[in-house]
Amino acid sequence: MQKFLADAAEFIPILFQGVVLTIGLTIGSLVISTVLGLVWALMRVSGVWVLNGTAKLFVNFIRGIPIIVQLFYIYFVLPDLGITLTAMQAAIIGLGIAYSAYHSENFRAGIEAIDHGQIEAAQSIGMGWWMVMRRVILPQAIRIVLPPYGNIMIMMLKDSSQASTITVAELAMQGKLIASSTFKNTSVFTLVALMYLCMSLPLMALVTYLEKRFSSGQR
Amino acid sequence: MSQTAMIHLHDVHKSFGTNHVLRGFSMAITKGEIVCIIGPSGSGKSTVLRCINGLEAYDGGTIHVNGTLVDNKAKSIVAIRQNVSMVFQRFNLFPHRSVLDNVTEGPVFVKGEDVAKAQQRGRDLLARVGLSDKENAFPRELSGGQQQRVAIARALAMEPQAILFDEPTSALDPELVGEVLSVMRDLAKEGMTMIIVTHEIAFAREVADRVIFMDQGVIVEQGPARSTLSHPAHPRTQDFLRRVTHPIDPA
Repeated sequence: MQKFLADAAEFIPILFQGVVLTIGLTIGSLVISTVLGLVWALMRVSGVWVLNGTAKLFVNFIRGIPIIVQLFYIYFVLPDLGITLTAMQAAIIGLGIAYSAYHSENFRAGIEAIDHGQIEAAQSIGMGWWMVMRRVILPQAIRIVLPPYGNIMIMMLKDSSQASTITVAELAMQGKLIASSTFKNTSVFTLVALMYLCMSLPLMALVTYLEKRFSSGQR
Repeated sequence: MSQTAMIHLHDVHKSFGTNHVLRGFSMAITKGEIVCIIGPSGSGKSTVLRCINGLEAYDGGTIHVNGTLVDNKAKSIVAIRQNVSMVFQRFNLFPHRSVLDNVTEGPVFVKGEDVAKAQQRGRDLLARVGLSDKENAFPRELSGGQQQRVAIARALAMEPQAILFDEPTSALDPELVGEVLSVMRDLAKEGMTMIIVTHEIAFAREVADRVIFMDQGVIVEQGPARSTLSHPAHPRTQDFLRRVTHPIDPA
């Protein structure tokens, strides 16, 4: 234990650089995936055949390819097409697009769970499609969508470690680098695991808090 | 098309799959008129209302509101819906908004009214339906009758020229029916144009100018409320009225 604490004191500052990148990756790709996921979901429920079909095709396409392959594609193949991104940019965009597919299915399920009478009531006071979504459907869907959204968020945090495969020195990569140069596998990977856990737990607490907040005044 | 008719349906057809719900339905409603549509379930009563404000597209014929053709794919449908409000069987209040917000939602976000002004009018409307003390409550905290009265206030908040009532008391416990009918009675006295799909025959007799009996997608019989309900001419109307007014009699 003594030895572990000494190792911890030595390695934590280096691992912390990885933590910063991990958090940056997660936040960046969370924003992109949430926005894109909402776009796919709205296209799916738009009732417009072309939009629905396009979104469905795209979501299934993304879901069918491993995240790691998508990252390779963006980082190693796009430069051949004249688009060069830094490893961090490629990772954020890659994870963002990959996870937009999961968000989209979650959002769509939430939107479709709202009673159709709500849409009719909103239409009957003269609301157009956008306003029905913004004022009536989405505020109610948030409540349904939040618990799975929280799970996806935690999955994203952990999957950000896949960015190490395209040279982003995030937490898992930093751990691997230290471990392979010091051979202190136990201390290093225990620390890495604890640090991921320390980031996940507050996220879980946040989801619980949001669920409580959004359920006030409702069934 | 009659110039005085505010709502005019001509030879309207509507099918759901192979189910031909409206088979050439025509009627004209003049301003200030109160019409009750009665008939067995599945006769197309609700579909008539839903076609008038474009919640349902119709397959054939024409529907005009104030001379504008109802087409739920056209932009004009928004103006039609603001002029012709709807009250639903299951209330359909917005569960995530307070009672007052439910009432002011349309004026503020659809019509762009000033919030304070809309709230003042919303409070007046809630007073009119007897729910002044409930403005901060949420819909789930209210009884069915109270919810339906809020829904009527929400419809009135749009300052419509007509209100469509789709079986407004059918989802209510019997003891709550009266409070909703009493609000509707007040509206009738104030001269609101109303089309009411209902099974409340006594209410129709009392309030309606005209009663339409519908069966299998067409009008079987129509006329002044009192005489039509007291002395129906058509055997199907007689049979229907006997069933709803004496439900426990053997057929």
